[in-house]
Amino acid sequence: MDQVESLLKRPMAYDNIDGVGELSIGFMFLSFALLGWLQVHTPEHSIWNRMYVLFIWVGLMILVITLGSKAIKKYVTYPRTGFVKYRTRDTIGPLIVVLIIAFGVSALAATGLFLATRSRWNLMPALPFGLLIAASYAFGIGRTVRWKWAVAVSMLLGSMMIAVLPARLTGILASGSWVTTMFRAESIGAYLLCAMLYGVVFLISGGVSFGLYLRHTQAPGGQ
Amino acid sequence: MNRQTQTFNELDRVIHEPGRLMIVALLFAVDRSDFLYLQHETEMNKGTLSSHLSRLEEAGYVEVLKTYLGKVPQTQLRLTEAGRAAFQQYRKKLKKAL
Repeated sequence: MDQVESLLKRPMAYDNIDGVGELSIGFMFLSFALLGWLQVHTPEHSIWNRMYVLFIWVGLMILVITLGSKAIKKYVTYPRTGFVKYRTRDTIGPLIVVLIIAFGVSALAATGLFLATRSRWNLMPALPFGLLIAASYAFGIGRTVRWKWAVAVSMLLGSMMIAVLPARLTGILASGSWVTTMFRAESIGAYLLCAMLYGVVFLISGGVSFGLYLRHTQAPGGQ
Repeated sequence: MNRQTQTFNELDRVIHEPGRLMIVALLFAVDRSDFLYLQHETEMNKGTLSSHLSRLEEAGYVEVLKTYLGKVPQTQLRLTEAGRAAFQQYRKKLKKAL
């Protein structure tokens, strides 16, 4: 009976068999880190600090992720290991969960940033971020692929390291910026470091999965 | 005949065969997939997989759709409503028997 139940979970695990899901998330984090960097290191009234630029940036990021994922699936994954169309309830459900988590992360980050500016607990944003992302990753991906637990642990350890870094070190990333009139430089630095850390870890993990997938699969001669 | 044996005897023989059980379970979890995906997941050869799919199609549990993915012809497979109901019934009975 357990084998039947595990078979039912295999199609969902197949969705990230090529690591494309992780590559997309990594790209997303690095995009946010880059935008954050640009916002922090350009003057307050520069184009990068306009609200509409944020929307254009996010729109372009979603476009690149969607088209890129589709292209990899179409030209690499489907010809090698087959095509799967998921049931709408299986895709809408996780999407809602992801949106709720994203909202939760944003709320936590905002609260952390707010708390950090008001108290001496400067690097608060790194810990809830790290815990939430490592736990989500372990639950979503770590359960299906054993070595991915190491990725979840590295995210958690990385977040903890950022949280305990001396404030002057993280502060360097935002020193002299107009943002420091509203937030502490070390909090902004911690946020940028977190986004870069998760982006790089997701990209490496997704890249390793993609490499292993290419190495262990090949397109058959034809149906 | 005790109740457990009776429940085992009531199991759907079309689905109960291990190869077909794998196919039905995999298709149950998705809207549809192609032949290659099932071959990859079940590790069956083309002949065996085709024969199981024919049996499931005869029973009205699987629907075979001939489509194109871009310009490439593709055989897509989907569990019918009858197939879904039969698999759910099978799971229920198997749980009861165990």
